[in-house]
Amino acid sequence: MSRFRKFIVGILGLIVGLILSILIVKMQGKSPLEVYKALFGYSLGSLLSIISTLNAATPLILTGLSAAMAWDAGAINLGQPGQFLIGAITAALLGIYLPFPVWISIPLILIGAAAAGALWSGLAAFFRQKYNMDEFVSTLMLNFIAEYFTTYLVTYPFLDPKAYVASTTAIRKAFTLATPDQFNKGIYLAVLVAIFTWWIVKRWGIGYEWHMIGLNQRFAAVGGCKTERDYSLAMLYSGALSGLAGGILILGGTQHRFMKGIGGNFGWDGVMLAMIANNDVIMTVIFAFFFGALKAGGIGMEFDTSVPSEFILVIEAIIVISVVATRATIDLYGGKLKALVKTRRVVKNS
Amino acid sequence: MNFFAVLLKESINSATPILLAALGGAFTYYANVFNIAMEGMMLTGAYFGVIGSYFFGSWAIGLLFAIISSIILSTLFSFFAVYLHSDEFVTGIAINMLALGGTTYLLRSTFHVKGAFISSKIISIPSWKIPFLDHIPLLGKVISGYSAIVYIGFLLAIIVDIVIFHTSFGLRLRATGEEEVATRSLGINPLTVKFISAVLSGLFCGIAGAFLSLGYINLFSENMSNGRGWISLTIIILVKARPLGILLLSLLFGFFGALGVMLQNSSIPPQFTSMAPYIATLFALYVYSKQKRKGSL
Repeated sequence: MSRFRKFIVGILGLIVGLILSILIVKMQGKSPLEVYKALFGYSLGSLLSIISTLNAATPLILTGLSAAMAWDAGAINLGQPGQFLIGAITAALLGIYLPFPVWISIPLILIGAAAAGALWSGLAAFFRQKYNMDEFVSTLMLNFIAEYFTTYLVTYPFLDPKAYVASTTAIRKAFTLATPDQFNKGIYLAVLVAIFTWWIVKRWGIGYEWHMIGLNQRFAAVGGCKTERDYSLAMLYSGALSGLAGGILILGGTQHRFMKGIGGNFGWDGVMLAMIANNDVIMTVIFAFFFGALKAGGIGMEFDTSVPSEFILVIEAIIVISVVATRATIDLYGGKLKALVKTRRVVKNS
Repeated sequence: MNFFAVLLKESINSATPILLAALGGAFTYYANVFNIAMEGMMLTGAYFGVIGSYFFGSWAIGLLFAIISSIILSTLFSFFAVYLHSDEFVTGIAINMLALGGTTYLLRSTFHVKGAFISSKIISIPSWKIPFLDHIPLLGKVISGYSAIVYIGFLLAIIVDIVIFHTSFGLRLRATGEEEVATRSLGINPLTVKFISAVLSGLFCGIAGAFLSLGYINLFSENMSNGRGWISLTIIILVKARPLGILLLSLLFGFFGALGVMLQNSSIPPQFTSMAPYIATLFALYVYSKQKRKGSL
């Protein structure tokens, strides 16, 4: 599908999703106008709102690309939530204990977070390569294991006894990437990584091979792609992106520490982004900003209209379903129409 | 009660939702529908089970609500995946997200609580004491006194086996999964068969959800299905959806789940004991993949 068509399908699905969510708001007896005014005001209405939109978009860009890159290569990595958590806990611990100066520590922490994420997805890739275990199930199971494991780490060995929830102590002040008005400078890195990813996909041999393998693994193998190596690299790169997302959230977020339940839904949001964008890098980034705006607006919406911010999760899921359904409908009926036109032409000519 | 009796009882209880969902998934497996929306259907069933039970003061209405809501979700899934030919995988995950987001949102907007909703007004599904057997010491404690759904679940394992392998509907179902075009030539609409299989899986997942929130414990908490749908899916793949194999493996996974619960009071941190079912799933997948490779050589 051309990018233009992908974009149109995305926008169509988006419109359907927004209309459906208006109906749901109406059904709950709230005013849709107020809800959308609040959503808009708290996501784009002021400098502070724009900052919180960008902050929410930062991890989303990375987890979205993580899902998109793996799936594009035919690796069904659904482990973004787990890889995100493992990256985040690594960043939090390095941030507490690294004794080096700032200019070397921050890159080390971020590399560490990405490496930890890659390790977690690499585990699933190893299972697949060595034992032929489906990565789709193993990454899901590793999500649960990561969740319990990180909860254990912050409940027992690294618990901050002064905190009121299970969490580590805060990272060293100097390592934080947030400006005084809470802007997460990590977004520069996220965008850089997105550009780099786009470059890989467009210009590098491996990016081409990934895409070919995703389209048809056997054909790619016959054509000379090293499918096993490429598969592992795709999984590792995907995991590294999710891990990095966790690391940036720790360094640049508002908590500066790993606490139970941190990052909320960022992993699964990334999965949804890749679905809407149909694994396209640029579309994933665009929709990451849109989802970021929804998230930022959702918190404000709860203040103003008492519609719980969880409503954003519903809107997101509805958008995903409408985009996927719109795409399928266009493919189905578009294909039928094309076939009809073609047969007509053939019949006429004969 | 003695430790092993409790462990056994606990195992059967925690096996039940997995068993029910996997039995439902068996229908879609044989119809060749890749149904990964079971997790979401179960969660939705659990939520609406509580809604029905709380507002109408009856567990039967709770169960009915659970089943209806889960079937609605499965209809939605099959509308997209079967009739519109959208990607089953992507649609299934989106449905799961909708269930997770939707129940979390409804939990807050209806009951104004975050995390979990507990109330004495949630009427639970009664437990059955089997006459006579109940009075046998030890054995009675292990066999008798479960929620009605547990017995139904075991019974359904046998019924599903009969339906899939010994009825004309089962034959059509399997034929659709094997060779869609051939079944069409026999005058069976494969889309209808697939749709029915999805609805059946919704029905079973709804019962599983009701058991979660009304049978075993009496509350609803965010994401309370907690991966059980995924484990069910793994079981289906592992035993190629043979209902009796599903029964056995569910009991095994139930055992690991129970072990996690039972060891919570020991010196092992609870987070590690809670990992047990997921590690067991990985291990089962490992054994399965190893055998499969041996078979292919």
